This record gives sequence, C-alpha cells and structure tokens, in this order.
Amino acid sequence: MSILVWSTAVPAIGSAFLASVVEVVEAFTIVLAVGTMRGWRAAAAGTAAALAVLGGLIASFGSMLTRAPLHELQLVIGILLLLFGMGWLRKAILRAAGVIALHDETAIFSAQTDAMQRTPAGSAAAVGTDAWDWVAAAAAFKAVLLEGLEVVFIVIAVGSGRGLLWPASLGAMAAATVVLAAGLAVRRPLARVPENTLKFGVGVMLSSFGVFWTGEGLGIAWPGQDLALALFALIFLAAGLATARQLQSQLFSSSQEVR
Amino acid sequence: MTILRAVAAELAGMFWTDRWLAGATLGLVGVVAGVALRLPGQPLVTGGLLLVGCVVILIGVVRRGARQAVRR
Repeated sequence: MSILVWSTAVPAIGSAFLASVVEVVEAFTIVLAVGTMRGWRAAAAGTAAALAVLGGLIASFGSMLTRAPLHELQLVIGILLLLFGMGWLRKAILRAAGVIALHDETAIFSAQTDAMQRTPAGSAAAVGTDAWDWVAAAAAFKAVLLEGLEVVFIVIAVGSGRGLLWPASLGAMAAATVVLAAGLAVRRPLARVPENTLKFGVGVMLSSFGVFWTGEGLGIAWPGQDLALALFALIFLAAGLATARQLQSQLFSSSQEVR
Repeated sequence: MTILRAVAAELAGMFWTDRWLAGATLGLVGVVAGVALRLPGQPLVTGGLLLVGCVVILIGVVRRGARQAVRR
C-alpha cells in the first residue's frame, strides 16, 4: 500500500479502534451491572441482539453510501464529522481542564446496579431461575445499542469515503474484543481506562477528517493530499492542549483568589 | 417505542451537543462554500479559512462552555 493510502487508513482504523474502546467500556459497565444483578443469560442475549442490529446498520448504510456521489457524500459526512468530532473534543478539553467531571465508571456501575435491584424481578431469587428476564435483556440491549451508535457512525464516516469500511469495522471489532476480554477477566468496571485521553485523541482525528472531507466536498484540492490530515491533527491537538492548559491555570488562579 | 425514542435522542445529541458549535460550524461551511465559488483554484485560501475557522470555533465554544460551567 502506498504512503498516501496508509495516511488515511491508519487514522481511519485508529479512530474506529479508539472510539470503540471508549464506547465499549461504557456499554460493558452497564452489561456487567445487568449480568451481576440479573444473570448473564439475559445480559448476553441483549448484548448479542444489539451487536446484530449495529452490524446490520453498518452493512446496509455502508453499502448504500458506496453508491452515493462522492463529492456530495464527502460534504455531508465531513460536516457531520465536524459537528461530532468537535463536540467530542470540546467535552474532552473541558474535562482535561477540570471544568467538568471525568466519566466515572464505578459510579455508573453502582447507579445501574441500584436501578436493576429496584426494577421488578430484581431480587437475588430471580437470578438462576428459568424465567426469561426481559427487563435485564432490554437494559443490556439498550446500553449496547446506544453506545454502539457512535461507533457505527465513526466506522461509516471514516470508512466509506475511501473504501475503508471493512478495515474500520475490523478496528472497532478488535477494540470490542480487547475490552470484553479485559472486562471478563477482571469482572469489574474498567475504571482505569484513560477514557478522556482516548476521547481527546478521537476528537482530534474526527475533527481532522471533518475538515478534510468537508474541504474535498467543496472542491478544495488539499496541498499534500491525504498527508494534510496529519497537519490538521497536529493543529487541533495543539489548540486543544493549549486551551485546556489555559483554562486549568485560570481555574487555579481563581481558586487561589477565593482562598 | 422507548428504545426508538432513546435512539433518536442519541442520534440528535451526537451532532447537536452545543447549539453554538453547530450553528457556527454550519455558518462557516456556508461561508467557505461561497468563497470557494468566487475563488476557484485557491485551495490555500479556502482550505485555510475552513481549518482556521474550525479551530477558532472550537476554542470559542470551549471557553463559552467553561464560563457557563463556572457560573453554575
């Protein structure tokens, strides 16, 4: 493969992998709570059903988009990537600066465990019986489906423009396998995954893809072609880190003034 | 129905996390499209405008979000 193909393929597969790690960690926390409180059969069935729906979405939308006119597709996907990527980056910068709280998997696990206990058939007696627990299956299904939608969008968005749908899907599936294997090994929420750092990185990559595709959709011939993506990523990364550091120091100095 | 509603809310939230971010980004793309029509074959001008505009919007919405969070 030429360096130009790799310069798009590596960020595409990397974005799908890292975004999938973030979302699978969040979905795993809820599935773990459901499985622990209500039994693994319903949790596994709900998870499998949601993964089948997500796979179907990638297959149907992915093949449909490969037949769409390239420039229009790049423009629409580019704008959506800008909105989505800069949204992730905005939140990651605010979290890195300490302005808003970091995502706490342990707290989410506790809240979900409490919710499962409070809903019907949530008593310990329900676990291990032959009765089918629809509430638990639906909770696992909903969690995996909602967290997985963002991964589906990323896989389709970064994969469809350059025929990288399969590599991006494989990146996402690899991440899901790694997270699930780690989660099943430790059997507790994966609270030590540096979620905000990953979100920061994915936000930088998606914003860069957004600028690139939007520009191509508007007919801009980027100097350096696909290699321009690396420059965009560096600029977004530098701007994000500088803004986070500046906000952090402003927060520190205002807290010193209060004392 | 609850799941369909949750899916719709999730999809909307994916692209509309902050109305200023969404509005400014769509406005910028419109301006860049206009410039690209008037100045065809000037990728550095139109591309630079798009890139710099996105970075300025990002910094602006982050600073705005921080001000709002501190006020709360």
